[in-house]
Amino acid sequence: MNFASATFYLASRSLRETLRQPGIEVSNLFIPIFFFFVTVGALGGIAAGAFDVDNYRGFALPVAVLQGAAGAAGSGGLGMVTDIERGYFDKLMLSPAPRLSLVMGRLVADGVRVTILTVVISTVALIFGAGMETGPGGFLALVVMSGAFGFTYSGIGMAIALKTGSPQAAQVGFLVFFPLLFLSPAFAPKEVFEPWLEFMATINPVTYIIEAQRSLVLDGWEWDKLGYSAAAIAGFGAFTLTLTMLALRTRTA
Amino acid sequence: MSSAIVTQQLVKHYTPEIKAVDGIDLDVERGSIFGFLGANGSGKTTTIRMLTTLLRPTSGSGQVDGLDIIEDAAEVRKTIGVALQEASLDDIQTGRELLTLQSRLYGVPAGRIKERVAQLLRMVDLTDAADRWVKTYSGGMKRRLDLAAALVHEPKIVFLDEPTTGLDPISREAIWREVESLNKSDGVTFFLTTQYMEEADRLADRVAIIDAGRIVAEGSPTELKAEIGTDVITVRIPGGAENVERAKQALKRLDGAADIREVADSVVVYIRDGSTVIPRVVTLLNEASVAMDEVTLKRPTLDDVFLRATGHHLEAEEAQVTAEGGAS
Ligand SMILES: Nc1ncnc2c1ncn2[C@@H]1O[C@H](COP(=O)(O)OP(=O)(O)OP(=O)(O)O)[C@@H](O)[C@H]1O
Ligand SMILES: [Mg+2]
Repeated sequence: MNFASATFYLASRSLRETLRQPGIEVSNLFIPIFFFFVTVGALGGIAAGAFDVDNYRGFALPVAVLQGAAGAAGSGGLGMVTDIERGYFDKLMLSPAPRLSLVMGRLVADGVRVTILTVVISTVALIFGAGMETGPGGFLALVVMSGAFGFTYSGIGMAIALKTGSPQAAQVGFLVFFPLLFLSPAFAPKEVFEPWLEFMATINPVTYIIEAQRSLVLDGWEWDKLGYSAAAIAGFGAFTLTLTMLALRTRTA
Repeated sequence: MSSAIVTQQLVKHYTPEIKAVDGIDLDVERGSIFGFLGANGSGKTTTIRMLTTLLRPTSGSGQVDGLDIIEDAAEVRKTIGVALQEASLDDIQTGRELLTLQSRLYGVPAGRIKERVAQLLRMVDLTDAADRWVKTYSGGMKRRLDLAAALVHEPKIVFLDEPTTGLDPISREAIWREVESLNKSDGVTFFLTTQYMEEADRLADRVAIIDAGRIVAEGSPTELKAEIGTDVITVRIPGGAENVERAKQALKRLDGAADIREVADSVVVYIRDGSTVIPRVVTLLNEASVAMDEVTLKRPTLDDVFLRATGHHLEAEEAQVTAEGGAS
């Protein structure tokens, strides 16, 4: 069984698992949409005066999308822990499928789940008047970017799951998400931050994804921002995939 | 042709203190059923995990189907079928889905998968339950599905780690018949671990007894029993260890006993022509004023072989494990 088809079949299985436990996705959907409405409700009125953002709904859309992405990708680690605990992962490891495909199947499935979630969350935001300056093409770019972020982000949960095999791992994966998502211009532009937070935001890859997605929603095609975002996703992905592969190796030892 | 499974001084020390497997030499003939008999924690699973490439040995080496378990691990995985100790399944797939995915991962040609899965489901009698989630299966059904999953690619060498532990007699019989039939009709080699004497006796062409990570006896069940060479008289003594000790001392006056042992609440005497000796046993104990609950005479069983080799009963521990709610 070659790498690509093994990955495909394992990803399909993982997505089927999601369809059979839709409850998990409900909270991945509900929480970001809830936060979207709450932050827009709280800050939308003063955003123009306070930090020169006219369309705070559009400003908040990427945050909702990435929050959904992180939530969905976090539960991917949980699925891996379940496989390990039940011993099913041993069965997969006994098969001749390339071992990297056992992990890649789940990462790809997480990417797909995040993509679908992004479509739903942004559609809700659009209906609520977030707007999309770059039109359908920009919408597509935003969705792809989130899917790719989900794919790379889920590497964290996967690495922890493989390393520890413990359900607490998924919780830790979820914790990583807070600094990552909120040490960024999530609620306000970097320019108004205190210096320490501005520094943190500058070194945080998520900042560049948010800024790129925001430019698609609010300003139009800004290729430099899209480029930074692609680089941030690639760099972050290289980091999480390396972690995952190292963790996989300890499990096969 | 080389043997199906060979090992040279295979060792796994999880830590310097935990010597789970401590130098095992195996030679399993092709087309045979090899029974690996041992109590809880004796090292059965650890051995299987090393032979099936899930665990790296601390030292020593092994070959399965002529392939090295470390150097050629990927090739070994293509060759073998494995059902691990705890049926390692996925609760929220159906039996059919699980076998289908398994077939794909093992490279069964796409056009043949549907038929192969249906055939396996028939074989393990799960056709009716095939489209239910595995979560809803009984322990016996899970075991049978796990066995089917080990067979998708028609492996010639199959490892089964305690395939019938915790099953009722009917489910156990079903698994035994399946193993026997694959062995007889397709020449499949089986390496199976068990805590059940009866299972080893019924299925295995050869048995190795493992105790604390070492093989302490090996041979065909008939050979092993013949080696004992005597009948076995077991006298159960009420009233605790002190009485058992007194009984043992009294029975030492028996002429011709090959061995006398204390085992739990009984004294076990290995002696020829047991039936003619029983009256004397009763007399000796009466003279010593030791009460007895029960006196039994039997031909040696694998349990006696186990006892001679390890100094303890297997069956007693088995009962204890059941009481604790299952093995690890
Ligand atoms: N992952 C591990 N880390 C440390 N020690 C272990 C590990 N797995 C097993 N052991 C120890 O190694 C020894 C052998 O265990 P193993 O599981 O091989 O026994 P077993 O014969 O399969 O027992 P059982 O009949 O209970 O399944 C035991 O003392 C066990 O506690
Ligand atoms: Mg075991």
